[in-house]
Amino acid sequence: MAEDLTLKLEKLIKGQAKYQSDNLGLNLLISRVQRKYAASRKPSELISCLEEIKAFLKKYSSITANDVEALKKL
Amino acid sequence: MFVTLEEAKKLIEKGSILHIAADECLLEQLPKGNWIAGTTPYFITENGGTTCKDKLFINEIIDAVECKTVFYDKENIFDITKDAYSNGLSLLVMPFASDVAMFYAKEAPNEDHLLLTPIVGWISGFDLSTDGCAKVYDGTTGLSHTNKAVALHVCLPDDKLASLGIVNIFSTNPNDAKIEFVEDALSVKQCLVNGKEVFFADYIAENKIDTRLPLVADYNSVLINVSIKAISEENKTVDFYAPVFSGKEYYFASHVSDYAASFTAHLKDFKDIKPVFSCNCVLNYLYGELDGKATPPFAGPVTFGEIAYQLLNQTLVYAEIIDK
Repeated sequence: MAEDLTLKLEKLIKGQAKYQSDNLGLNLLISRVQRKYAASRKPSELISCLEEIKAFLKKYSSITANDVEALKKL
Repeated sequence: MFVTLEEAKKLIEKGSILHIAADECLLEQLPKGNWIAGTTPYFITENGGTTCKDKLFINEIIDAVECKTVFYDKENIFDITKDAYSNGLSLLVMPFASDVAMFYAKEAPNEDHLLLTPIVGWISGFDLSTDGCAKVYDGTTGLSHTNKAVALHVCLPDDKLASLGIVNIFSTNPNDAKIEFVEDALSVKQCLVNGKEVFFADYIAENKIDTRLPLVADYNSVLINVSIKAISEENKTVDFYAPVFSGKEYYFASHVSDYAASFTAHLKDFKDIKPVFSCNCVLNYLYGELDGKATPPFAGPVTFGEIAYQLLNQTLVYAEIIDK
């Protein structure tokens, strides 16, 4: 996955950017990783959160293409 | 589809993969087959809400390539993500007030990778006018349990994908009091109201809050309800049907004057959905007086809790199988 997307996802996880999807699972995941990261703010947690959100976007790539494009513009 | 016992038996004997909701007396008479079930006498059918003990609500999963059923208890419930097919849908039914349901309610939102698995389902219940008990059934063995969850894992073809959604008729007013909790809990004494620590039971009583309205939290634009189960003024405890979580901001839902009209208004956005499964909350059914009222395109069991990945309250949940 492109490096620019990784940087945008990091901003999202850290709560420095907002993104709302039409996808229930993605919205719950964004909320979950933001809460999880906020509780520790450790680099290892950030990596774990990144991996989880990337895995979601990969698994559901056929229905999250628009989300990925919008996330790149954060 | 809302069918008779004989019609249900025929579907099972045909080898269909089925999710079933019905009263216990009907489920006990079903032959073994590819099905799971939970108990409830309440339904919202295509013709409207009804309390019925002589028909079964059935979802036939016609897109399935293969399936398997698994019972889970508190110790292994999160094996559900390992047992699920990599491209599939997992239908989960848990008995009301069971240890496994309470454990799942509290821990699911913290479980790594849960959101990578489309898990949809409900909490089984009973006739509220009786001293019944909630059960779940695994049709492949014919076994039932009051303290275990049952899942129907369905494998989908490569060109299909399961997608979950919810319909929540409640909204909040950001000018209302903000309520926060200091720990994840199914029962609380204290909370913070606009930052000030108070006994939650006292706050509810003093402000004459209608406890039929849920607490609502914003999960990245998804409004998630937590319904109040009981208040003990003596012990100063407030019990919930789903946990509240620390770090989340809650507001009491705004008043809904006409549930049925509100559902109708919300459902306009969902008219093109073709659900393979849906269910709605018994609190919506009772408080909203949905008896005789339909909620198209959704029909299904009326439940004691709803599952869309995590446990939800006072919410309609649905699953659809879409083209990739």
